[in-house]
Amino acid sequence: MKYTTFNQESNDTMKEPMFFGSPVNVARYDQQKHPIFEKLIEKQISFFWRPEEVDVSKDRMDFQKLSDAERHIFTSNLKYQTLLDSVQGRSPNIAFLPIISIPELETWVETWSFFETIHSRSYTHILRNLFTDPSEIFDDIVVNEEIAKRATDISKYYDDLIFATQLWQTKGEGEHVVDGETHLITMRELKKKLYLCMNSVNALEAIRFYVSFACTFAFAERELMEGNSKIIRLIARDENIHLTSTQHVLNLWAKGKDDPEMAEIAAECHEEAKAIFLKAVQQEKEWAHYLFKNGSMLGLNEEILCQYVEYIANHRMAAIGMGQPFEIKSNPLPWMNNYLNSDNVQVAPQETEISSYLVGQIDSEVASDDFEAFEL
Amino acid sequence: MRVDGLHSVFSESDDKSLLEHLESNNIEVHYHCREGYCGACRTKLNEGNVDYHIDPLAFIDDDEILPCCCKPTSDIDITLY
Repeated sequence: MKYTTFNQESNDTMKEPMFFGSPVNVARYDQQKHPIFEKLIEKQISFFWRPEEVDVSKDRMDFQKLSDAERHIFTSNLKYQTLLDSVQGRSPNIAFLPIISIPELETWVETWSFFETIHSRSYTHILRNLFTDPSEIFDDIVVNEEIAKRATDISKYYDDLIFATQLWQTKGEGEHVVDGETHLITMRELKKKLYLCMNSVNALEAIRFYVSFACTFAFAERELMEGNSKIIRLIARDENIHLTSTQHVLNLWAKGKDDPEMAEIAAECHEEAKAIFLKAVQQEKEWAHYLFKNGSMLGLNEEILCQYVEYIANHRMAAIGMGQPFEIKSNPLPWMNNYLNSDNVQVAPQETEISSYLVGQIDSEVASDDFEAFEL
Repeated sequence: MRVDGLHSVFSESDDKSLLEHLESNNIEVHYHCREGYCGACRTKLNEGNVDYHIDPLAFIDDDEILPCCCKPTSDIDITLY
């Protein structure tokens, strides 16, 4: 079915599934099939921040004091996070928007992606401050083998869904030959690709950032690289809300509260989806191994970091009905919670002299006695 | 209040959220945002009722609660994950 940017047929979005229904026409939010997405949009927008608000200048001095092993840990993590947000800044838009059929979810995806672009810009902000020429760091993201391994797994489910959607939207259902390769396009296949893609994104938001977060906050515990840590705290706060959204989508499907066919697919592909999550866990552990190959850092080592990945994976897999596959029961890095708590993240705008905070601060209540002192 | 089968007392006049109460009783609960949007503190409610002072945005199942943004309104029985 050809995509249209404004579906001219009247449709009742209250009856549409989240994906693969009629394309959205009017961006209206007065009625919502799944009001949770509108609530997430409001919450996410209330979190708006700019990288430039955070002063990272002291980090440059701290960075000079780090050992070579620690510098490797720090820059490798920034590279990996840059990759993750490069993908997340564009892919939800390209993969999901053409097939979404309710306006509140469409706007949520746009809002979500926009915040990922803020994250990407913040990495440049951090790196520009640390290196006179950050090109070398950025260039290595495409060449570095350890990062490439992860990039393949992160992008492949998106790419599969995007390609299948393009074939479906241009040629419809059926067998299509492209560059000598035959592709079977059916609605069922498209929905399966969507389901697997959503699981891969969910795993990304759930655990792929956390090895890196742990290292950043371990530096901050030693009062090092604190500007960077402030930025990462803001990023972590956003990622938590993104994760909430993918958990909602997966659970709406699995519990039959949206498209009934997606509930069937969720049951059918349960093991495959679980394997996607477990592979991400494995890759994060391998990443921890790569980070500490030249030596560990104070307060963290490979073993404890792997335990933390398992601990967080348990919680996040349970949230989408995948059980808790790992033994670990208590948090091996309890201090992490202090950095992920939004009370410790909030910047009070009125205290940092941001004039835009005052927009709309007008007293609209005017009583007739307010004019008593006036004379004509 | 019963947590993982053990008793604990929650006084009605208490201003604390269920999460803060559990913490002040030295019961370890996983948390991140403490504002209802991340779901890290998701807990199973076996019996009883709670009232939310912040609208929970994180996904919770019908038999689950977010201790960071609610208070019990009756005797409750919960299981921590």
